[in-house]
Amino acid sequence: MNTFYLRVVSSDKVFFEDKVTRFVLPLEDGEMGILAHHENMVIATSIGEIRITTADGRTVTGVVGEGFTQIVNNRVVMIVDSAEKPEDIDRVRAKQAKERAEERLRQKESLKEYKQTEASLARALTRLKVTEKI
Amino acid sequence: MANTKEIQNRIKSIKDTMKITNAMYMISSSKLKKAKMDLENTEPYFYTLQVALARVLRHLPDIQHLYFDSRSEIPENEKRRGYIVITADKGMAGAYNHNVIKIAEEELAKHDHTRLYVVGQVGRHYFARKNVHIDKHFQYTAQNPSMHRARVIADTMLEAYENGKLDEVYIIYTKMVNSVTAETDMIQLLPFKREDFSFSTGGVYNEDIKMEPSPEVVLDRIVPNYITGFIYGALVESFCSEQNSRMMAMDTATNSAKEMLQDLNIKYNRARQAAITQEITEVVGGARAQQNRK
Repeated sequence: MNTFYLRVVSSDKVFFEDKVTRFVLPLEDGEMGILAHHENMVIATSIGEIRITTADGRTVTGVVGEGFTQIVNNRVVMIVDSAEKPEDIDRVRAKQAKERAEERLRQKESLKEYKQTEASLARALTRLKVTEKI
Repeated sequence: MANTKEIQNRIKSIKDTMKITNAMYMISSSKLKKAKMDLENTEPYFYTLQVALARVLRHLPDIQHLYFDSRSEIPENEKRRGYIVITADKGMAGAYNHNVIKIAEEELAKHDHTRLYVVGQVGRHYFARKNVHIDKHFQYTAQNPSMHRARVIADTMLEAYENGKLDEVYIIYTKMVNSVTAETDMIQLLPFKREDFSFSTGGVYNEDIKMEPSPEVVLDRIVPNYITGFIYGALVESFCSEQNSRMMAMDTATNSAKEMLQDLNIKYNRARQAAITQEITEVVGGARAQQNRK
């Protein structure tokens, strides 16, 4: 199987760094899969789930925040605000965050606050969705 | 010569102060260690981001974007400038706060339409006392910098910039040159200057890169992240410098306390000896007087 080099960097750590065969990442309008020798690209990615299939066949999942990904010469670098493993997510906290965000959305807010609330709601929902599977 | 009781009191009070400066030294050094680790953890992110931004810019030589618009239609003296000024929450850190405030004051004197966004209590109080116009809602502490706080600050600045409330955004912070020296610096955050990112491209084959969904959206995503990353870096570096200056200030204080104690100890011993000598003289004198009477 053809492999490529992948690096997922979040603001506080390097989340993943290895040779992989497949990488699925979230976009504004759905998901996108990357295999080896992909066309060179820079892509804006949104909050969601990433799935990585490593060279030895393991699957690694993670929840990422907003960011972008660049593919150059068979090397993929994803740069995101935050990246977490599903087992590190605190479901109770995510649920509370979701409720808090929903409550705030019902109130009238400035555009900036609205955007922030929307983003935190999206983060909470993704965290809950991904952790449901384990 | 001061009497022994007075000297003893002074020695005691200096010893108490020394205990405090010593404790502050220890606290600062442990905080510094933690802050340095935070900085190290975020370095790969920031560095990768910078390289990525440079690469995108290299492929878009003539993009028109809000973040690169130098607003040349506005005359220089009418541009509204925003300054993020990072000071400490407490004093007792040598010249650390003073250096930052000095640069901010110089900028205030140079330009007319300025607005200050001050992080840290010392700076806020200073400018409030001088009746300088500062943003009242901008209340952030300099303690324990976090990515979240950096993001909130970045959002505030970007919003003001996008709405046209600010034409230029600067940040005044203190960076660590090495573990001993810190340097106060001012950097322009917005609008971006293309030259800051132009790495030499001579001889390198420029691959064709597709931007999804569009170059504008990609830049919209990268630039705020970059600003957030930069602000976070500045917060952490300032915090490191603050702890470092405080460590040095407290170290000097402890050392001078030690010197004073030594001096006072000698004085105390002399005073004590003088008192003893005097007592002996009195006793001997008294005894001799008694002998003579016999």
